[in-house]
Amino acid sequence: MSLINTIWWIIPLFITIFTGLLCPAMGTVLITHKRLLQVNLISHCVLPGLALAMALGVDPSIGGVISGLVGALAAEGLANKKNENYEAVMNTILAGSIGFGVLIIPLLGIRIDLEAVLFGDLLTANIGDLLRTLIAFSTFICLIIFSYNKIVHIGLDPEGAVASGIKVNNLNLALGVTTALVIVSSMSAIGVILVIALLSTPTLLGLHQAPSLLIAMTRSSIFGLAISLLGFVLAIIFNLSPGPLISVLCVASLICLPKNE
Amino acid sequence: MTSLIAENLTYSYSRQSNPVLEEVSVTLRPGTLTALVGPNGAGKSTLLNLLQGQNKPDKGEITIDGNPLFNNRAQVALMPQRGKLNWNFPITVEGLVSLGRVNHSKLTCCELEGALQRVGISHLAKRRLDSLSGGQQQRALLAKTLMSPAKILLLDEPCSALDPLAREEFLLIIRQFADAGLSLFITSHDWGSSLNAYDRVIALDKTVLANGSPQEVQHKLDSMDCMRRGNCFG
Repeated sequence: MSLINTIWWIIPLFITIFTGLLCPAMGTVLITHKRLLQVNLISHCVLPGLALAMALGVDPSIGGVISGLVGALAAEGLANKKNENYEAVMNTILAGSIGFGVLIIPLLGIRIDLEAVLFGDLLTANIGDLLRTLIAFSTFICLIIFSYNKIVHIGLDPEGAVASGIKVNNLNLALGVTTALVIVSSMSAIGVILVIALLSTPTLLGLHQAPSLLIAMTRSSIFGLAISLLGFVLAIIFNLSPGPLISVLCVASLICLPKNE
Repeated sequence: MTSLIAENLTYSYSRQSNPVLEEVSVTLRPGTLTALVGPNGAGKSTLLNLLQGQNKPDKGEITIDGNPLFNNRAQVALMPQRGKLNWNFPITVEGLVSLGRVNHSKLTCCELEGALQRVGISHLAKRRLDSLSGGQQQRALLAKTLMSPAKILLLDEPCSALDPLAREEFLLIIRQFADAGLSLFITSHDWGSSLNAYDRVIALDKTVLANGSPQEVQHKLDSMDCMRRGNCFG
């Protein structure tokens, strides 16, 4: 504990490592389940909850998870209705959520460093941020340990999964909750908006020719860790903001993406 | 030996909509290969979903060896249409087949190998699903369906994306399962002499138009008005 208190970069480094491992692994599950748009919705829904929690004097991350969950439930409801235009509705809710968050911040008379929430502020992360990341990490690991085969079945054949008795709606809800936790936990590292880069790009690299979801997740996490650590080091050396830097590195890493054979 | 009897099934997707199926009765006996033919929108996939217990009929009942389907759902397995699967999912053939045992007893490697051998693709066990041909993918899907303890297999358009040779090979494989005592019920767009590969044929268009041997069904449909007008199927 004394080491953590004396060396300022220890906590940000641990957060970088766990976020770099966690986000791409979560992203692999979400992309193979074709749920990336729902992630976007959840990430945009976090802001109003953060603001309301701060106004009520509650830990902002609790509010963020709850409003992210509301977003996840809305996304789930829309996806289940199989409305042809649900993507348009989802995008409307997404924009409305962030607009609502920005609107209520001055109305509630609270101070939120909006830039830090949206784009991350890794170098000022504290032990609370690290705990949030560890909680999200543990939740994801539990989900994978106890439901891996079911997650694979749902991603491959959703209707077949229902037919074989898997509680698909419950598992999708668990995925939504875990996604909300991951997004809120990544707030300090890369921000709730830029997290989408860390959820997607390493996954694209990890998925290529992967023979199983587990191998794809492992590869994605390795790529994610490499990108995050490089961003962290470059941010310290050049005194830049780590979140945007990690996002830009994600884009740059697309050149490593193998061409389709 | 397990028989499924469905009597007078009526089903609509909502209270406001017209029934998709009306008074449909079907009997599936062990050791038989039964084709379910009908035009698009005839209710073929809906009927399979009812027989598998995914949906409940508005009217009518389904029994397996005299017991309600609800208590015996494990006796029925459904192989879905290929369009319903995410073929780009990162999974090998053996990974797909082992999913046939999710929620059932633990799978042994011998059982996995056996299922792959029965459909003739044991040499493809380690290959990714999206690297296979359409026929090989359908065989892999059949092997997954065979991993369940079910004695009644419902196959939803398994030959839809297959060339004539692959279709013939697939039908030979499923014939072996019928000969081994399983009951197979297969939706198909086959017509004419292609139907002779089946023991029985049921022609469906919201209700059962004909039910019997391939020759009986073709003869009956040929004598119906819709066939003279050429709009019974397709």
